[in-house]
Amino acid sequence: MTAHPTDRLLPYLHGELAAAERAAIDTHLAACAECRDTVRDFAALAERLARAPEPAPPLHWGAFRAQLRDKLERRQRPAAAGRRWSLWPVPATLAAGLAAVLLYLGVLGPGGLTPVGKQATLEGQVLDGRLDVVSQLDLVQNLDLFEDFDDIDRLDPPAPRHES
Amino acid sequence: MEQSDEALCRDVANREPGAFDLLVERYQERAYRIAWSIVRDREEAKDCAQEAFIRLHEGAGSFAGQAKFSTWFYRILVNCCLDNRRRGRGWRRLLVWRDAEDEESAGDLIERQPAPPDDPGERMDEDQQMSRIWKAVETLSPQQRAAVTLQYREGLATKEIASVLNTSEATVRVHLHRAFAALRRRVGGTR
Repeated sequence: MTAHPTDRLLPYLHGELAAAERAAIDTHLAACAECRDTVRDFAALAERLARAPEPAPPLHWGAFRAQLRDKLERRQRPAAAGRRWSLWPVPATLAAGLAAVLLYLGVLGPGGLTPVGKQATLEGQVLDGRLDVVSQLDLVQNLDLFEDFDDIDRLDPPAPRHES
Repeated sequence: MEQSDEALCRDVANREPGAFDLLVERYQERAYRIAWSIVRDREEAKDCAQEAFIRLHEGAGSFAGQAKFSTWFYRILVNCCLDNRRRGRGWRRLLVWRDAEDEESAGDLIERQPAPPDDPGERMDEDQQMSRIWKAVETLSPQQRAAVTLQYREGLATKEIASVLNTSEATVRVHLHRAFAALRRRVGGTR
């Protein structure tokens, strides 16, 4: 029996294959119960997906178009002074938060605090730990490189280790 | 006779009054539906669809007319969605970790559900099956969801999906096959 034509079963179902390729799959299916089951299940799933009710939450289309017109007009206007700051609300907020924490730790210091102060120091350390994640922002933002785990399959295998 | 999408797009490029509004009305629901299938968030999907229309307005002159208008526009749209997702993901992981936990529990629930019974008398009713299959679609990768939506909701052929996703037909086949294999594991195939 030939290798399973896995990636061609859906195009086969949808009639997207050339005659010769289709004939080859017909021959394979005649001999392979596993692929026949797969084709049968895929056909049922495809049919269900095609007639499933629309799952997207409803929108008000008049409001959608009004908002679109508004966005388009704003985009076409010359950039207002200071507009660039509005594009960075989250980094600005985080930078301000970071500055506040550093100032707090710098002024009060870890020693000689009252019990309330010690608790505040602990909270500061926890917060500092979280902000450490911010310092690794480049890494965190690039995590989505592995969002499609198929990519991992395509990575080169690790080189074998040679024991000396 | 109704003007074709391609002719309307040329009119948009020439800033003919009304042409853009007409194209928006024709494509707004499809654009939102596709965006929603990728980003799975109502507001984000609405923003992505609107951004795609803005890019259409700005770039209508670059539509060469060799591909269908719909293919060209869906490509803009999918790029908006994937760009938006890439931009937002790092911040969301830092600031909205709660949502991620909820998504993970939803995924676990789907995984924990038993395979559908073979006995016809025990089959779930139609609504439950539909709801279940779309819940399972939510667990696919954005590229797989886009490919599934474009093929089964919008009726695009593999070649057109490859053009929309800016990839090869072979890659689209792999996305679709893996999507179907995952759906089959989660909800079963035969009814």
